[in-house]
Amino acid sequence: MLYLDLLVIHQFEGRRWTLPAQVYAAPLELYAGLPLSEPEVAHELERLHYRKVAQLDRPGTYRLNGARIDVALRPARFADESRDAGLLSIATGPQGIESLKDAAGREVPVLRLEPLLIGSIFPSHGEDRIVLTPRDVPPLLPAALKAVEDRRFDSHRGVDPQAILRALWVDARAGQIEQGGSTLTQQLVRSYFLSTRQTLGRKIREAIMAVALDAHFTKDDLMNAYINEIFLGQDGSRAIHGFGLASQFYFGKPLSELDLSEIALLVAVVRGPSYYDPRRHADRVLARRNLVLKELADQRVVTAPEAAAAARRPLAVTPRPAGAYYPAYLDFVRRTLRRDYRDQDLTEAGLSIHTSLEPRAQDAAERALESELTRLDRPKKRGGEPQSLQGAVVVTTPQSGDVIAIVGGRDVGYDGFDRALDARRAMGSLVKPFVYLSALESGRYHAATIVQDEPVDLKLTGGQHWRPENFNHDSNGPVPVARALAESLNLATVGVGLDIGLPKVAETLQRFGLDRTPQQVPAMLLGAVDVTPLEAAQLFNGLANGGFRNPLRAVRAVIGADGKALKAFPLQVTQVATPEAVYQLDRLLTLVMNRGTGRGARPLLPPDLVVAGKSGTSSDYRDSWFAGFSGSHLTVVWVGYDDDAPTGLTGSAGALPAWAHIMASLGGSSWNAPMPEGLVDMEIEYTTGRRVLPGCSDDRVTVAVPAAAQVAPKPGCGFPDSGNPVTTFIDRTHQWLHNLVH
Amino acid sequence: MALIAAMTLAACASAGPVPPGTPAGAEVPGSAAGSAQPSGPPNAPPGRQFHLGAAANALVAQAHTQASAGEYAAAGATLERALRIEPDNPLLWVELGRVQMGEGNAAQADGMGRKALALATGDPSAQASAWRLIADSLHARGRTAEALEAEQRAASLAPQ
Repeated sequence: MLYLDLLVIHQFEGRRWTLPAQVYAAPLELYAGLPLSEPEVAHELERLHYRKVAQLDRPGTYRLNGARIDVALRPARFADESRDAGLLSIATGPQGIESLKDAAGREVPVLRLEPLLIGSIFPSHGEDRIVLTPRDVPPLLPAALKAVEDRRFDSHRGVDPQAILRALWVDARAGQIEQGGSTLTQQLVRSYFLSTRQTLGRKIREAIMAVALDAHFTKDDLMNAYINEIFLGQDGSRAIHGFGLASQFYFGKPLSELDLSEIALLVAVVRGPSYYDPRRHADRVLARRNLVLKELADQRVVTAPEAAAAARRPLAVTPRPAGAYYPAYLDFVRRTLRRDYRDQDLTEAGLSIHTSLEPRAQDAAERALESELTRLDRPKKRGGEPQSLQGAVVVTTPQSGDVIAIVGGRDVGYDGFDRALDARRAMGSLVKPFVYLSALESGRYHAATIVQDEPVDLKLTGGQHWRPENFNHDSNGPVPVARALAESLNLATVGVGLDIGLPKVAETLQRFGLDRTPQQVPAMLLGAVDVTPLEAAQLFNGLANGGFRNPLRAVRAVIGADGKALKAFPLQVTQVATPEAVYQLDRLLTLVMNRGTGRGARPLLPPDLVVAGKSGTSSDYRDSWFAGFSGSHLTVVWVGYDDDAPTGLTGSAGALPAWAHIMASLGGSSWNAPMPEGLVDMEIEYTTGRRVLPGCSDDRVTVAVPAAAQVAPKPGCGFPDSGNPVTTFIDRTHQWLHNLVH
Repeated sequence: MALIAAMTLAACASAGPVPPGTPAGAEVPGSAAGSAQPSGPPNAPPGRQFHLGAAANALVAQAHTQASAGEYAAAGATLERALRIEPDNPLLWVELGRVQMGEGNAAQADGMGRKALALATGDPSAQASAWRLIADSLHARGRTAEALEAEQRAASLAPQ
């Protein structure tokens, strides 16, 4: 008895809840010029569970005030600094945000909203919690807990014989709030020290320990422990402990912002988080919540009109639990951190993880993939089992190397196979930009260089023959590089790749971030290189970023429980290709979108958005890829079956529409890299690669070529002898004027 | 006539403060009338000059305060905020490279300088800043001959 007593006191005094790392999305930066409309600003505030009110009363509220949105900001902690609560007034106009002003009417140049909590990294036993100090707890909560669970909490000595008797009596009557008979202290002991087995011996130990705790600790201390300890919900393998996390879990906002009806709901859940799960048993929970409210009024914790008003409110629980939204993204975060941290550090040490996730982009990617897969799905009967198409998406902001969205599969809430990180599939024609980049870098090729699209028959070591074909099983003869890439001609590409050399192409892939040496067989030139969607994004990010490689990152910083920065993942850039070569290639990739395999995206995109990209289809249509970028975003989409069965879809048919929908929703800027010095625009005939003037061919495209490039003019196009510097000058002037006029 | 055209182009292209969220400089490619589909972008116009928008400007000021207090990591994080707003602005890449130099990370500073240089086409003053950063990075790594060459390039673009 004495031993038990000492043990309890000792354990409880040294108590330290294990604190799972909390993971945050990127905060939204607000500034004049940000193209967000008033409804979009309001939507972003709602995402953070700001409440729309008529009069700003407390942090976490906002109101529409004519052309302005007034916001009572919550205090916020970012990776690098903290911000206090305060008022912000946002003026919006047709172009987006026009100005930001603080409470004193001063102009605020830039301000971050607090980052959205997107999840936590909890230990294998599943206990997840956010620990609160008494200061964080609205006084209504302890008052309500006492009223409903333990009326004599302030006066009893850990157990309450009266309550036990009363519980027996009340249980016999219907329609009244059931009484458990256990004091809050007993419930705390049960949760903190004991297993959940129901035995008489356990009941006795529970009572003894409760008395011991009550004798040694203040009531306030016990109440705070209860508020942080008690079990309030289950989310898969994750157990929701404490009111701090429960508030986020059910309402997506801090406990301090809950109103009476919401606090009453949490108090109602205490009695049985599974039986009273508000997402599954809304009617049952509503009834119990209203009983709680009635009890609070009966005991004069609140007035009867207050209770009645609260009872009229809906449950207002978020449809999905906060923190379970983005499993694929959290998976990448966890893998990044496991390089530097032990599991125990992540699940116990109270770290804050600040990531690059942009909820708007993530939502757009999830929506587009799901709706496109549903549209494409033609469940096949194979062995009687219909199979559904799968897919994955990675979105980055190329210049910063931030991964802003990851979708790991169709069922986005499912924390299972993460295709974005783990599905390693043949990249197909996604490899071609790297073949042509190698060719451009050699100096022997440019956009108008004529290459031969003709049958290939290679004798491989071992005596077998390799006879690749174009998708249409045809060959086109001499074509310019621009067309060969735009139309993804296999035969022409093999010819170029063999001329440049397999080692060179392999080396280019590695320079852009492939972390292994691809097998150097000719089929590599057509994409017999297996990559995950994330790896494909790393490779294309270098093309989108003008030939600069930056390691893609999900985590920006790790902050300790004391608020000190422990680790940062700063932006890094390394030049891996010349701006000239990459610019020429990127211009060819814009032609893919206008003339080639990407043109199907055009009607789905804003008409003036310039994008560059490449489709990919692996052999037998097993993998459908599209990778492409604007000036602000890179998106990679993969579509296929988990078992590698043929889909019957090319990259253009499968992945491209989802890609286009995502790019359209992101609303970014056009690809608009400055043309490096030493390159010039040239108009060529798309089919022949001959240099043309406006009016002498109705199939012109503009490409970027080195100023010294020799391109044969189209006969009869009004060019005098080519190569004559004077006529070249006149030609250029002519072209210049033409560009000006149009 | 071509000369006049060139001057007109240059005049149109010398942009004022760049509205954040839109790429600095030239018009949106493909917006030319008569072209049904967007074609490639036009030449980078000569004679443009990069500026910082108000948000980026405030963040750069904050980064300077942090850097002068020796808080390079914080300064870097602040500049990254600015870069997320104006990723195409070479002035911000030079700023970030300067912070890298302050931290003793000359190799990374070189990457920032080259990134700035690629973006600065058409703005001799921004190009010169980028070359100076590259020169300092080369000096710090003992590559004196290349450093001097970079300095000369800077000087020829915008004499200090």
